[in-house]
Amino acid sequence: MYALMFGQFLRTRTCQIGLVLILILGVISILIGKQFLIDQEKITSDVVENHAGHLKRNLEFHSDDIGLLLYYLEFVLVNPSSPIAALSIGQRDINPSVQSVNIRTLEGQRHDTDLVNPVSLLHGNLDLSFIILFVFPLLIIAFTYNLRSEEVESGTWRLVGVMSKSKFKFLLMKLAVRIALVLIALVVLIVLAALTLNISWNAAFVAFFVTGFLYQLFWFGICFWVVSLRQNSAVNALALLVIWLTLVILLPSALNNHIANKYPVPEALTTIIKQRDGYHQKWDTSKRETMEKFYTKYPQFESFGFPPEEGFNWLWYYAIQHMGDEESLDDSQMMRAKIEQREFKSRNWAKVVPTMHTQVVFNDVAGTSLTNHMDFLRQIQDFHEQIRLFFYPKIFHDENAKQINWEQFEPSYVQQEEEIDWIGNLLPLTIGLFLFLLLAVINRKAM
Amino acid sequence: MLEAIDLSKMYGNHEALIDLNLTVRTGEVYCLLGQNGAGKTTTINLFLGLINPSRGKALINGKEVNINSDTNQMIAYIPEVVQLYGNMDGIENLNFFSRLSGHTYSKKELVELLEKAGLKKEDHTKKLSSYSKGMRQKVGIAIALSKNAQAIFMDEPTSGLDPKATDEFTTICKELVAEDKCIFMATHDIFNAVNVGSRIGIMNEGKLVHTADTSSINANELQELYLKTI
Repeated sequence: MYALMFGQFLRTRTCQIGLVLILILGVISILIGKQFLIDQEKITSDVVENHAGHLKRNLEFHSDDIGLLLYYLEFVLVNPSSPIAALSIGQRDINPSVQSVNIRTLEGQRHDTDLVNPVSLLHGNLDLSFIILFVFPLLIIAFTYNLRSEEVESGTWRLVGVMSKSKFKFLLMKLAVRIALVLIALVVLIVLAALTLNISWNAAFVAFFVTGFLYQLFWFGICFWVVSLRQNSAVNALALLVIWLTLVILLPSALNNHIANKYPVPEALTTIIKQRDGYHQKWDTSKRETMEKFYTKYPQFESFGFPPEEGFNWLWYYAIQHMGDEESLDDSQMMRAKIEQREFKSRNWAKVVPTMHTQVVFNDVAGTSLTNHMDFLRQIQDFHEQIRLFFYPKIFHDENAKQINWEQFEPSYVQQEEEIDWIGNLLPLTIGLFLFLLLAVINRKAM
Repeated sequence: MLEAIDLSKMYGNHEALIDLNLTVRTGEVYCLLGQNGAGKTTTINLFLGLINPSRGKALINGKEVNINSDTNQMIAYIPEVVQLYGNMDGIENLNFFSRLSGHTYSKKELVELLEKAGLKKEDHTKKLSSYSKGMRQKVGIAIALSKNAQAIFMDEPTSGLDPKATDEFTTICKELVAEDKCIFMATHDIFNAVNVGSRIGIMNEGKLVHTADTSSINANELQELYLKTI
């Protein structure tokens, strides 16, 4: 029976065009992901060579003055993209994966980034997660909106009613055929992605796959519920498109707007202003006052004493640089707290908006989420502090730069192990799926 | 085999069928005549379990029919226009619907069923979208045969068929009756009703107003009675 149903459905134009289209779009999305990975790999591989050149040049020019050398020298922290990031690029193309910082004030540096491709920022990335989130539901709608109504409208429903033992079971079988074809298309794309992008079948990739799988089933649940309401094809199609528009575009946009308005982040600007003011005003502040604040934070350097009020001194200079960060610390922490609050609220809302939830899960497992970037920013801060503390005594002692082993300052790489929260990832979609299936089963008698 | 007891159906305030009482035995062809809207199709729909009665009951082999009953396992149905899947051929459609009713046939058996229904062998593998109404009707008959049902309901089965196809259809009906099937047919075709039917009922405005045995009435008399009734 299933073979006949497959054969019958595969011969329809809807099925043929739908499958070809989704496979073409899927392949394009994988190639876009591949290009993203190539770009990322080039950036992270170039950085090694560029950094070595940067070190060499500055050592040539400034090795006689370690304070001046450290003024210019930058140190690199890399947040490498895993191959799975190509499936869900998320914020990886707007936030830097490579951050170079010197030991001066941090705040002005850690949000520095270049827009690689502003055009893609406008329309987003056509990655596989986009295809799964936006396009697959449309395919599912096209495959199922007339599951029952096509039989009624073409006149076969009465014959089906007389011939089949259960019309509901007949519709379930038709649904199963469509589910199988959509999931086969998804599996083909996932396998193709794994081969093209060299993704290993680790927990993150399995989580991506299972979430995508469940997301498709969730949409089949919605479609089957709408079908169970026994409306005609036009009404079904319209209802499903309205649901698609609401779940995929309107709700996420409205929630994003609501959260952005509810938690404004003016600190994004004030942090930079305070950091700059905090630093610049110290030029006109007595050196003693600046140094006292510096030693409060770093008592281990108190033995270097207080430089004379007149003239330039690297000890004092790096103390005023440090003051910039100190003065903007409250705003910086506030900004971070608000961004995290936005993220927290978004994730809470996402639990009841399956499209948002799926996007969140995809970005989480791909390591391309805002959370991942916030962790990277935190690690930049730790990295910056570590570098500072290493060089401060050397600068304050005016050590010979040539005696330092500069090879140890190759680019550093952060390791961000994403813990997979299987229940948290899959439960919202599972509840949504069963809710709509239950609603459909309630209408079973009338079908 | 088939029994209607005070069978009634209302659509809102409109009484489509009013207190229908009739019995059809095995080996009988019961033809229901009447104008459009007389209640013929409503009667068939009630026996098919596609709608529930407002009052009374329809029984098949003593079992009450309703939307949730499994009485449709005992019946087959041939509509006025047999609508099947246009992108499948005759054999595939027959295979599809026979499997749907829980019957699995070999290809040879499917061919035999189509031949028994009068469909030429060269047409078996043509797509349904290229079939004439008569050819579709034959596939519909083959589907009904495949179910091996005891009762077959037909709704205007000869409407739009050419005389040859009507004659072939009549022959098949007689063969089915000879196999102890019972046929319940709604029709406008008085001459065919007399030709194929065992008993005839005339309906008007939801009521069964006359019944006649075809052994005691000819086509002209039936036509006169029918015209008087409506």
